[in-house]
Amino acid sequence: MKKCKAKSLLKKSAKILVHPLIAIICGILVGAVVIFLAGENPLDVYVQMFQKSFLNIYYLLQTLTRSVPIIACSLSVIISWKAGYINLGTEGQMIAGGFVGTIVAIYMPGPTYLVMAAAFIAAMATGSILSLFSAFIFDKFGVSIVISTLMMNYAINYITNYFITFPLRDTGSSLAIQSKEIHAAMKLPRLVEGNTFNLGFIIAVLLVAAITFIIFKTNFGYESKMTGLNPIFAQYGGIKKGRVMYSTMALSGMLAAVAGLLEIFGVKYRFLEGMFTSTSYAWTGLMSGLISSLNPIGAFFVSIFLSGMQVGGTAIQRTTSIPLQVSTLIQATITLFVSVKITINFAKKNKFVSRGTNSAKKVGEE
Amino acid sequence: MDANLIFATFNSVLRSTTPIMMAALASAICNRVGVFNVALEGQLLIGSFAAIAVNWYTGSILLAVLAGVLAGGVIGLLVGVLQVRYKAADMVVGTSINLFITALTGILLSILFGVKGGFKDPALLSLRKIEVPIIKDIPYLSVLLRNLTIMDYLAYVIAILMFIYLFKTVWGYHLLSVGIKKDAAESMGLNSQGIQIIAVLCSGLLCGYGGVVLSMGQVTLFSEGMTAGRGFIGMAACNLGAGNPVLIIISSLFFGFCDAFASIAQNAIPSQFTQSVPYIATVLALILFSNRGKKKLNIKRVK
Repeated sequence: MKKCKAKSLLKKSAKILVHPLIAIICGILVGAVVIFLAGENPLDVYVQMFQKSFLNIYYLLQTLTRSVPIIACSLSVIISWKAGYINLGTEGQMIAGGFVGTIVAIYMPGPTYLVMAAAFIAAMATGSILSLFSAFIFDKFGVSIVISTLMMNYAINYITNYFITFPLRDTGSSLAIQSKEIHAAMKLPRLVEGNTFNLGFIIAVLLVAAITFIIFKTNFGYESKMTGLNPIFAQYGGIKKGRVMYSTMALSGMLAAVAGLLEIFGVKYRFLEGMFTSTSYAWTGLMSGLISSLNPIGAFFVSIFLSGMQVGGTAIQRTTSIPLQVSTLIQATITLFVSVKITINFAKKNKFVSRGTNSAKKVGEE
Repeated sequence: MDANLIFATFNSVLRSTTPIMMAALASAICNRVGVFNVALEGQLLIGSFAAIAVNWYTGSILLAVLAGVLAGGVIGLLVGVLQVRYKAADMVVGTSINLFITALTGILLSILFGVKGGFKDPALLSLRKIEVPIIKDIPYLSVLLRNLTIMDYLAYVIAILMFIYLFKTVWGYHLLSVGIKKDAAESMGLNSQGIQIIAVLCSGLLCGYGGVVLSMGQVTLFSEGMTAGRGFIGMAACNLGAGNPVLIIISSLFFGFCDAFASIAQNAIPSQFTQSVPYIATVLALILFSNRGKKKLNIKRVK
């Protein structure tokens, strides 16, 4: 009995892993073509890329450090997308949360731990207020969440840039547009000497565990999954759609804000202009969520993989003529291939069922 | 206020409207056949880039325009095939295509031109500004219509032709029938998949056109991510115009106004605030005019 279970589990996990692996190979092939066109040897570049992201302990720790905000962003994406609410505003929520959290951490007087707690609460509140606003205007006015969350990214980026350029800028230390540094006692402790690898990674692991538990083991997770799969059926079964939407969106915004704050408290120690847009943590997190087909544990590993590609990409940018964007290109290609594969599989398996839900959906729309 | 200044303001509104309007029309044609296309942003961006690249290598405006439009079309075709033929989830395809194009244009920028961030050169040709013979002698109207390119004028013609096609011809209603009920359309002998793919291809061509105007109209340069959310603003404009090309002209003019405001008010207000105006205005406009086309752009589920 037990053996049988283990076998089926193995089969199941193999099935889950096959498609992403094919997609990753396709992505790497497309990347190879681009590298070749740029006049470099793809094999050499890839070997260098992996050496400087996973195979060397210093770079491996860099990869893990960089993966922290990506993991948190992917969780943010997973929570909202799983319920069918497309939150594209992770970046904006991350910026706003990180900004407000940093300001609280710098300017609020009081004992260190209290201020830190206040900073995290303020950041999470900011992130969730933004995502809840989008949910609210969708609920009341039918404004597409996709558009409102995405528009907010740009607006928030510009507005925080204003504050960081003028009133809150640290004019003393350097020419860079940045805030003051947070107090030394608030910096998340580093786990390894001489490397930025810090406590944030442990927090990210705990977050993954918590979100996995929420999605697979709680009523809330079940309800949001059902709403995502078939809103009409979910409503018919007594699930309150509005409640699911508001709570998933709020949680999604909070996770995005935590992502921003972990990067600031763990690595940068201050808010810099464009620190989240130039690194595109949010979009990498989005892709990692999609590649893992919205599974938090899968997203954890995919995030580390994608983070490694960026760390490796930054390294090869220094030694070759290949720009960093090659890693984004490969990631986007992987996501594209994953999207096609998943649905082919889905359509084959549930031919009859999917037809039924489709017409149900159409009826609901009319 | 000086009347000339007002007309000059509206002139810059007209000049910033075209790319947004083309994205909105593209969104309209996709909505019509029931395809949710989020890749408009990427289609615009590739159009802008292809136009500048071909412009640089051939020195021909005609070829540059063609390349931009076709590049948009190629991406449109890709999106159409993936979403319609392979039934890939629309949001996933859209967002990954957008990121793909952003990265691709960045890479090509450094491979072809050896620069980062943006490319600008005096040798690049810009679209010729048209001076309409009689209008240029009328005092205010000449200010209103100065420095417009032929592609700006053509955009309005395209919008009106699209209106006639979609709402006044049998073919337009065939498209609508595919959008409403695929099975019924097929029972009439229509190839619904083919029609959907062609519609998305057309959306790509339209966006490519918008992209060309963006990179060769008011300014002649390409910078990374220069579309800055215009594809999504176009979706909002389409939503406000309820998918009707004539109403879309009006809603696009509104967003064009916000866009122009951002550059005009820069002297009075910190630029960071003015730059955020178009995005905030988009959200506000969607809230204010929410009755029209309510829930048309409903969120789509991801499988």
